[in-house]
Amino acid sequence: MAEEILNTPQYDDAALEKEYREKRKEQIEEDMKKPFDPDCVLEVRHLRKCFPMKKTITGKVTKELVAVDDISFKLKAGETLGIVGESGCGKTTSGRAILKLHEPSGGQIIFNGEDITHYNSSQMRALRKEMQIIFQDPYSSLPPRSTVGGILSEPVKVHKIVPKNQIKDYVLELMDKCGLRDYYYERYPHEFSGGQRQRICIARALSVNPKLVICDEPVSALDVSIQAQIINLLKKLQRERNLAYVFISHDLSVVKFISDKIGVMYLGAMMEFGTKEDIFRNPLHPYTKALFSAVPNPDPTAKTKRIKLEGDIPSPANPPKGCRFHTRCPYAKEICKHIPPQYKEYEEGHFAACHLLDGE
Amino acid sequence: MSTKNKSYLTGREIRAIAKENAKIVKRLEAYKNRKAEESEFLTQMQDESNILEIDNLHTYFFTEQGVVKAVNGVSYSVPKNAVVGVVGESGCGKSVTSMSVMRLIQGPAGQIVDGAIRFKSHEYKRDEKGEPVKDENGNYEMEDKTYDIAKMPISEIHRIRGKQIAMIFQEPMTSLNPVFTIGEQLDEVTFIHIPDATKEMAKEKSYEMLRLVGIIPENVYDRFPHELSGGMRQRVMIAMALAAEPRLIIADEPTTALDVTIQAQILDLLQDIKNKIDGSILLITHDLGVIAEMADYVVVMYAGKVIEQGTVYEIFQNPMHPYTIGLQKSKPTMSLDDGTELYNIPGNVPNAVNMPAHCYFKERCAKCTAKCSGDYPGMIQVSPTHFVACHLYSEEDSSNG
Repeated sequence: MAEEILNTPQYDDAALEKEYREKRKEQIEEDMKKPFDPDCVLEVRHLRKCFPMKKTITGKVTKELVAVDDISFKLKAGETLGIVGESGCGKTTSGRAILKLHEPSGGQIIFNGEDITHYNSSQMRALRKEMQIIFQDPYSSLPPRSTVGGILSEPVKVHKIVPKNQIKDYVLELMDKCGLRDYYYERYPHEFSGGQRQRICIARALSVNPKLVICDEPVSALDVSIQAQIINLLKKLQRERNLAYVFISHDLSVVKFISDKIGVMYLGAMMEFGTKEDIFRNPLHPYTKALFSAVPNPDPTAKTKRIKLEGDIPSPANPPKGCRFHTRCPYAKEICKHIPPQYKEYEEGHFAACHLLDGE
Repeated sequence: MSTKNKSYLTGREIRAIAKENAKIVKRLEAYKNRKAEESEFLTQMQDESNILEIDNLHTYFFTEQGVVKAVNGVSYSVPKNAVVGVVGESGCGKSVTSMSVMRLIQGPAGQIVDGAIRFKSHEYKRDEKGEPVKDENGNYEMEDKTYDIAKMPISEIHRIRGKQIAMIFQEPMTSLNPVFTIGEQLDEVTFIHIPDATKEMAKEKSYEMLRLVGIIPENVYDRFPHELSGGMRQRVMIAMALAAEPRLIIADEPTTALDVTIQAQILDLLQDIKNKIDGSILLITHDLGVIAEMADYVVVMYAGKVIEQGTVYEIFQNPMHPYTIGLQKSKPTMSLDDGTELYNIPGNVPNAVNMPAHCYFKERCAKCTAKCSGDYPGMIQVSPTHFVACHLYSEEDSSNG
């Protein structure tokens, strides 16, 4: 027993954490100084978003919930980035932070070669027509008192996309592209089914000719047959307009179908990132593997062996020390409990954060 | 506008509908609340190997917009020790069918109008006063009875609901009572359904059930529901459903509100439990993957009717109805090579009021023929267990004999 204790490496958690923080701070500062990639529509570097949980009487934040901790990626025009993860992993928060609907707490957001991280609201307003969002719930994201025509022409008016006398023709053409019939122009949102409403939301997002669209679970509230219609519509519009999508979803098969690159998130951090082929042919991180094996297979003959994940997702308010995933990881080692793994490039364009990959 | 668009009704039309509805609903409510002799709702199973037989069930909702035929002639059966999966899109009547079995349809608007739900119950033998009878050794005697649930008055339904048929609901967040501890809620099941249950006995039973669903009972028994995560709550719901040792468990979208990794845990648990208890599971879901993993038999529903049913292999390897085929093709798979465009079924589910006389899927169907404008297709038997309701297969069947 005594021998066992002596032989296991001892970790001084406080010192390790300090060392890790300093090392990371240096790296972030170094990365932030790098020049922007001119080919990319969107570049996100070490994005961080914290929400205050406890404040002192003077307003000083004493406890924070780190919803998004250090995510980075690049996105080119005409590409789709899929973000998958379970509930509470920070995928929606990162989508909103990219659009600056939440003020980011750290990192950089570079849109079209401009660093927009510290833009104020009037500067952002001019940029809003370049970046749009489609929300999850089509039942609550449309104003009930405006007609479809009103909903779709308002952004066109505000951003002066076309001259006033051409607005109606422009909107009708857009509706036709999104699979909405022209007599819907006079109707109200409550008259439509979920799928049609989602088409209205898509048309509204595209009415200002954006370059980037954040799709926050656009098909989760819809039935399977309607889901397929909406996914095909999104793909068609992407081809026609060379749009960049950030597609956020918890449904792996949908993300796989629509994305070129995929990021897997867990408790606010990016666990693995790569092209679709990389992630699906050769998943590196144990969480990605477990996530894939948990998806029910619609083939009764295929009896796949599941990687079982025990327990629940820890609360993001109190994430585990070391690697975030170690409490549920079937391959967790002693080191995982103490030192957070580094997010490294293992193949070209294929990143992951796991100690097991270092082969120690 | 009103001539173009039929979804608008005038005030006079609405009043006429409401008056007509009130008449029908009054009659049905009186039937539901009547006092009846047991012999009135006892019946015989058509096939003794089944535990539940739903036969030509019609459940309607009488609304001011007209009568919504949510379940319109549904027939299927659940064999003993089997998992039957019911799959369909939202609004197809899969949940209303299961609610009809539990007699939980919200009145007065919702009513079972026609049909039979035969259920074979295994219960305590009771004397004339309704007290359970003991044999010489002091044990309770058991007996088998077959009830027609659709004919039972609502005051008699407690014989079955919760005891013989238990239900796991979709929303684990809202189906536990927030002001009682998990232990109190679990014990209650034993108190209600087991005669002369004591406190110790109830607690022991609750502990046993919690262990069965993979929870350490000491950690959970004295806690309140808000202290548990979604997956844990769903486990508690399953424990609660199992506490009365039901013969049939209805699981209505048990994993829809959960994350994939938690869903995998719950599905494994249900599989495991099915092997441990001597009962059947009726699994209702919209996820074809869940059905393929769990079910032995599959029932596909569309717009209040069963359009195809068969064993899980028949439905997934040889789907026949164009809707079943479309449904399977429109779900992206986990394999990498499925092209650039997803197959999709055009259009929407038709309006539930004023259903057409022809096949409900006709407007969305790619294989539609002239025959489809005729009557609603009947159920055609393809193999001993495989049935499909589609005109495409009717000629072949008649030529075979």
